[in-house]
Amino acid sequence: MLGAFASRLQATLRVTLVLLVATSFVSAQAAKPSTRKAAAPAPPPSAAAERGKSLFARDCAFCHGRDAAGGETGPDLTRSRLVVRDVEGDKIRAVVQNGRPEKGMPPFPKLPPAQVNDLIAFIRHQIFEANAKPGGRRGVDVKDLQTGNADAGKVYFNGPGRCASCHSPAGDLAGIATRYVGLELEKRMLYPVDAKAKVTLTTASGEKVSGTLAYQDEFHIALTTADGWYRSWPVHLVKFEIDDPAHAHVEQFEKYSDSDIHNLMAYLQTLK
Amino acid sequence: MNPLRKNCLALGACFALAFLLSGRLYSQGLDPSVIAAPPHDSWPTYHGDYSGRRHSDLTEITPQNVSSLSLAWAFQTGQTATIKSSPLLVNGILYFTLPDYVWAVDARTGHEVWHYQYGPNNGLHLGQRGVGMYKDSIFTLTPDAHLVSLDARTGKVRWNVVVGDIDKGYWTSMAPLVIRNHVIVGVGGDLDNLTGYMRSVDPDTGATQWQWDSTPPAGTPNMTTGGMIWLSGTYDPELNLMYTGTGNPTPVLNGKTRPGDDLYTCSIVALNPDTGKLAWAFQVSPHDTHDWDATEVPVIVDASFDGQPRKLLMQASRNGYFFVLDRTNGKNLLTTPFGPVNWASGIDKDGRPIPDPDKEPAPDGRLIAPDEGGLTNFRSPSFDPKTGLFIVSARESYSIYFAKPADGAYGWAGADYDLWGKGIIKAIDYQNGKIRWTHDIGQGSSAGILTTDSGLAFTGDDHGNVLALDTSNGKTLWHAGTGGTISISPTTYELDHHQYVLTAAGGVLFAWRLPEGH
Repeated sequence: MLGAFASRLQATLRVTLVLLVATSFVSAQAAKPSTRKAAAPAPPPSAAAERGKSLFARDCAFCHGRDAAGGETGPDLTRSRLVVRDVEGDKIRAVVQNGRPEKGMPPFPKLPPAQVNDLIAFIRHQIFEANAKPGGRRGVDVKDLQTGNADAGKVYFNGPGRCASCHSPAGDLAGIATRYVGLELEKRMLYPVDAKAKVTLTTASGEKVSGTLAYQDEFHIALTTADGWYRSWPVHLVKFEIDDPAHAHVEQFEKYSDSDIHNLMAYLQTLK
Repeated sequence: MNPLRKNCLALGACFALAFLLSGRLYSQGLDPSVIAAPPHDSWPTYHGDYSGRRHSDLTEITPQNVSSLSLAWAFQTGQTATIKSSPLLVNGILYFTLPDYVWAVDARTGHEVWHYQYGPNNGLHLGQRGVGMYKDSIFTLTPDAHLVSLDARTGKVRWNVVVGDIDKGYWTSMAPLVIRNHVIVGVGGDLDNLTGYMRSVDPDTGATQWQWDSTPPAGTPNMTTGGMIWLSGTYDPELNLMYTGTGNPTPVLNGKTRPGDDLYTCSIVALNPDTGKLAWAFQVSPHDTHDWDATEVPVIVDASFDGQPRKLLMQASRNGYFFVLDRTNGKNLLTTPFGPVNWASGIDKDGRPIPDPDKEPAPDGRLIAPDEGGLTNFRSPSFDPKTGLFIVSARESYSIYFAKPADGAYGWAGADYDLWGKGIIKAIDYQNGKIRWTHDIGQGSSAGILTTDSGLAFTGDDHGNVLALDTSNGKTLWHAGTGGTISISPTTYELDHHQYVLTAAGGVLFAWRLPEGH
């Protein structure tokens, strides 16, 4: 009987959680200024969330902040798409166990499952806490990023920004503001983290190979070919050229004024 | 006296002293008076010696033979945490740490002699820089801000004192610095508005000898908190001055509640180690709002500047600027960027960068170079006297910084996001700040730098490779793939007539040396 009750409660909680976070996520996504009512106060933390709080302080707070809303190098977990959508907790569990080495998060594989569950409970509680704050929540909202002028942004796009040399509003950037919003859009605008570099390479025997860059240090280079194979070589045995589309973004960093960035952001947000 | 005779006498005295000291070392543990001029078979303090130059006069490994360098042994801690400590070597035993752990390892075999495990605690387990040693005691700071004294022979606890209140938000990670009978420790804690401080502790009893506060007490109107002590300082025995960098102010990204310079955050401070009295201070980042601690190693160098022999202090700082000071009085001799910076409108008459108010964190964001991790960070630089190069593990970067009223005025008080970075080893000419050579190491950062008299610079790249570079031009002469994250600064020593270089990656400590018969 207790088992059936518990699983029904769990199902109800799950639905409530999804609805609540989906609502907060969706309203954060709205481009128009927020006119919603003040959010309901957060429910009191569960025992699991209380235990999770001290665990979080010990292992996570330095990077993700005491309140899980972002800190020294770690993102705001209360706005993280992965966290918000992770109904079963398995996605969060995987990140905790494996870390994100490419982003500098260490793994915590030895945390007992019960403690990971407590951490998940704490993080979920913090989502409520963050959304319940009167006078706006901390961190970066979509509405914070609306200080630019779209017309000026379009001029910059086609002019000194040099964006038009690689991008077009009707081509690769069509619908960009539907795919990304707010801080995520601005970060990718400034540096496209997912852009892949292409390598064209000639081996000592004259074979020409090309693909996406998979690994490079001063001793070796590796690419993934179009049919999915990973191949690597010592650099002294090959000649290669790398075409990195993100490089133009790096060159632009020292040229932007902050107004340019805000105007460009305003323009990109029109490309829905 | 004939200078040649004087030199011979001095040399004779050195040999005699070394002979005498080696016997004393073994019977009594570490005599702190040797830290200023360590014998070759020792690394008696975090930086190797008091200068912070991380430069060795060992020459067995040379640019010509380093390509044969091979693995002598590896010690696997069995932990997933990344080693961030510089091991001490005293009497053939290495002492190093991870948060909650101290290991004593035989430096010849790489096998464990003893290990100590601190109990479970809720302190921040971000990192641990190592131990300090005084006679036969090893001192370690714990994540929950305790200082523990261990018997160096067995790892058994002698005493345990609280140096910071974890419930207020303090934690500790630095390697204690031993100067005579003073064990100098400092606290960390950026998530709260707390006063940073250094304490001198009695090595025999753990009693506090003095405390120096970086900032006024929390709650003082319009005044800052912060100024945490993240790294061991350096020390000039002749001037009897200890030089330490202090951390950033709190609240971190919001400077409105703390107008003015925010002394003594982001400063290099010179203290008398016997009394804790401040002799002088130089502020590297007045009114910082970007989390740029000035705790990078303040390197002591005696060299000429503008044609005159001077007592210098050099720091390549997190905020992107390279500083040269007169260490007798803190007067600035040189301030120049060593990579992309965009947050200062100029340098003031005292050599301090002037923060541009338009580049303070704002509600709609500001593009800032460098990012919060800084143009460099805790990774030790090295000064090579032969080339006059100050070699630093740098990282060029850009980021966006935000702060708005809803972020409040407590702790982080804002948000910052890294956009892009590139790790580069840079060799700076200390007399003018010019970059003589660079060496790319990948997207992120890696090891600090160790240089040797034979002209080698040991470091690492962001792919787990340990590197030996030619100090004169930065070219790679040797490398080894360690397969882990490198977050240490290399150390070196001589044992049984052979030179060892130690590095770590992930939870593994590696010892490198030339093979037998080389």
